[in-house]
Amino acid sequence: MDILANLAGGFAGALDPYNFVLLVSGLMIGVVAGALPGISFVNAMAIALPFTYLLPPVTAMSFLGGIYVGGVFGGSISSILINIPGTPASLPSCWDGYPMTRKGLSSRALSIAITASAFGGLASALLLTFGAPPFASFALKFDQPEFFAATILGLVSVIAIAKDAPLMSAVSMFLGLLIGTVGVDPMYGMPRLTLGVPDLESGINFTVVMIGLFAIGEVVDLICKRAGGARSIATKPGKQIGLSDLWRIKSSILRGTGLGCTIGVIPGAGATVGSVIAYSVEKQASGKGDRFGTGVEEGLAAPEAAKNATTGTAMIPLLTLGIPGSAATAIMLAAMLIHGLNPGPLLFTSNATLVYTIFASMLIANLLMIVAAMGVARVFSTLMRVPPAILGAFIIVLSVVGAYGVRNNLFDVYVCLAFGIAGYVMKRTGFPPAPLVVGVILGPLCERYFLTSLANYDGNMTVFFTRPISGTILALAAAFLVWSMWPSGKPLLRRPPKDPAQGDPAHSDPANRNPPRKEPPQRVLKA
Amino acid sequence: MLRNALTLTAAVAALLSPVLSSGPARADDYPSRPIEVIATFGAGGGADLMARQFARLAEPHLRVAMPVVNVSGASGNAGLTRVLTNPADGYTVGTLIALSVSSWASGLGTAKPDNFVYVAMMQNSPSMLYVSKNSPFKTYEEFADHAKANPGKLRVATSGYGTQDDITLKYLGTQGVPVTNVPFARPSERYASPIGGHTDAIYEEPGDVAQFLKSGDLRPIVVFDKQRHPSFPNVPASAELGLDIGDLPNFRTLAVPASTPPERVQKLHEAAAKVLASPEWKTFCADTYTCVDTLVTPDQAKEEVKAFYETVKGYLDRFATKTVGQTPG
Repeated sequence: MDILANLAGGFAGALDPYNFVLLVSGLMIGVVAGALPGISFVNAMAIALPFTYLLPPVTAMSFLGGIYVGGVFGGSISSILINIPGTPASLPSCWDGYPMTRKGLSSRALSIAITASAFGGLASALLLTFGAPPFASFALKFDQPEFFAATILGLVSVIAIAKDAPLMSAVSMFLGLLIGTVGVDPMYGMPRLTLGVPDLESGINFTVVMIGLFAIGEVVDLICKRAGGARSIATKPGKQIGLSDLWRIKSSILRGTGLGCTIGVIPGAGATVGSVIAYSVEKQASGKGDRFGTGVEEGLAAPEAAKNATTGTAMIPLLTLGIPGSAATAIMLAAMLIHGLNPGPLLFTSNATLVYTIFASMLIANLLMIVAAMGVARVFSTLMRVPPAILGAFIIVLSVVGAYGVRNNLFDVYVCLAFGIAGYVMKRTGFPPAPLVVGVILGPLCERYFLTSLANYDGNMTVFFTRPISGTILALAAAFLVWSMWPSGKPLLRRPPKDPAQGDPAHSDPANRNPPRKEPPQRVLKA
Repeated sequence: MLRNALTLTAAVAALLSPVLSSGPARADDYPSRPIEVIATFGAGGGADLMARQFARLAEPHLRVAMPVVNVSGASGNAGLTRVLTNPADGYTVGTLIALSVSSWASGLGTAKPDNFVYVAMMQNSPSMLYVSKNSPFKTYEEFADHAKANPGKLRVATSGYGTQDDITLKYLGTQGVPVTNVPFARPSERYASPIGGHTDAIYEEPGDVAQFLKSGDLRPIVVFDKQRHPSFPNVPASAELGLDIGDLPNFRTLAVPASTPPERVQKLHEAAAKVLASPEWKTFCADTYTCVDTLVTPDQAKEEVKAFYETVKGYLDRFATKTVGQTPG
């Protein structure tokens, strides 16, 4: 009852005209920034941060919350329409969203993505409102071995989501892990693979890699094809969705939402990990795994729901414990501290109005997102009609600006261009770039968690298996790997296991348990 | 005409400071365009907050915009390289904190304390050791006794190896209090670990864990300083406990390249002095337990930074030889 009364006050605060206008502006800025390849919502929030000093604390938080919610979705617009993820979290939306666009179903894909995202975000915001304290104590149970296990699950997912070439995906992922080790190591401060270049000491940033591989690689490929009408497919409206369509994919949305809410609350994981894991879980759980990558609606809905379902729960550790779990929430923390607000348990008693206004704003933002995202998506669909050369130039400029903006570092622009060339070569040779990006994102995390776990538990490797949560996640990862490899048949089962989580070679039983399967589906993304 | 003016001012500037090599010097209407403030760590951290508070409060005094840019990485050295490579014209000011200085001492980066002029000593704070509210240890003595009885079993969350945190723990080891250093690169994970019961204690400055101190989730057991902290009168200082490690404070300065024209440094210093004296800053530094009581001149600040650098180097040499001696082969 207390919560409801507080929440009513929160809604009153959030719907105050001044707050509301800024919430909506934040939402629009977020969706647009997210959708522009190269500019992520984290960039947008960082740029917006100084402006929030001038605003009252509540308004500042609504504004940033709007950018966050809008931005996490926005990236999917470009994923679906042009196969370029606007933000890292929207990477999985390329895999089934873009094939839908190629089939002429772009607005159907967008509608599914928006609805799933809004549902996930709303559920997450409700959890934030009603379940913050218990969820916060759940998050605290996670120590380094649990984080390690979660990243292993993410890496295994990459092989599980491989469309037709698990081996190539694994190679690509390991290449990503290698790139992720460049720079000063997280534990002892020793430079690795820096080739004597001082700029490489700070490592290779995954956003830069992603912009290079996807945005620049895609554009170069597009221009090289010189096929003027190649993009006209995006303009076909496609069949709209109705409630019955959504009802059909409800379990995908629910699974994605559940996963996203859980992953969001864990400090350090975030939207990208959430959407990647959700995609691979969905591939196994939906029963349509063999058709994933060809434009399956479930494969789009689950990661979309998961991605936005991390937004609300990611605020739980921030508000209840003062622990920001991701770059976006770290910026929110900065905004709060600059206004003299100390997030933590005391905030709920000392500033209850503020807290509940933030809750209300998150709820409203997710509802309004449907309208805002539809609007922006419509504008973007129109953009797709511009000639590829102009669109390409536009994307390259944004990519360069985005690569520079990640760390305000010119060196990153060169790295981005180099990965652009690599991305083009990969596209032409059919070498999958997505596992590489996931490797670059999760590799350094995985390493850090591994080393800190060992430091914390006397170098005892068994902690990963004996701690209940960590052991469960690792078992899940192992099961996952076997499950996803199963249909690939005998040749793959003979290979030695590559993943540390699955150190048990029993899985490589050479017995031919599976009848030969039909040909795997054609690669849709092939140029 | 313009060339003459340039040579003249350059000559005057050269007379004023022998360190000055080639400051770009117009007849001084400085500052006439925005001053970039480089926060050498990511958004939300201590250096970032200082930069943003300073920029916000100094803007009215300098009458130009002061955008804050985060250039993080390599213990702050990525941003400091930017400060050094931008023109030394007073339009780029960077945050330079103790952590970066100790990273130089441990061999990271190429910068030295003499490469900078320290516009102002903005914040300073000793570090403390905290335990969770559920910890069985009520005092430092109980903690130390347990560590003595169970060498290496107590785990302390820190920011990394080779840092002041590490030096302090190694020093405790030499005093018969052997504990294990568990480095957490991300502050959020570092703070969560003792609260979640995954480590036994945490080494940190009070400002960074202020919310946990206010809520009671963390309890300080010792402050590493020569005297007690005025905000924590009940927490013993390391000096009282016979520990000689009160010389590793966490200071945060604002710095410009050493070749910046002195009159511009002076203008920045005056602005910083006004900021430090403002009630807003006083509230901010009290909240973060980082108030610097007396205004420090740029020369004094440089001496402090140099002394700190030498202290850290001394400790590292001392502990490095030890480690090498103990490692077989």
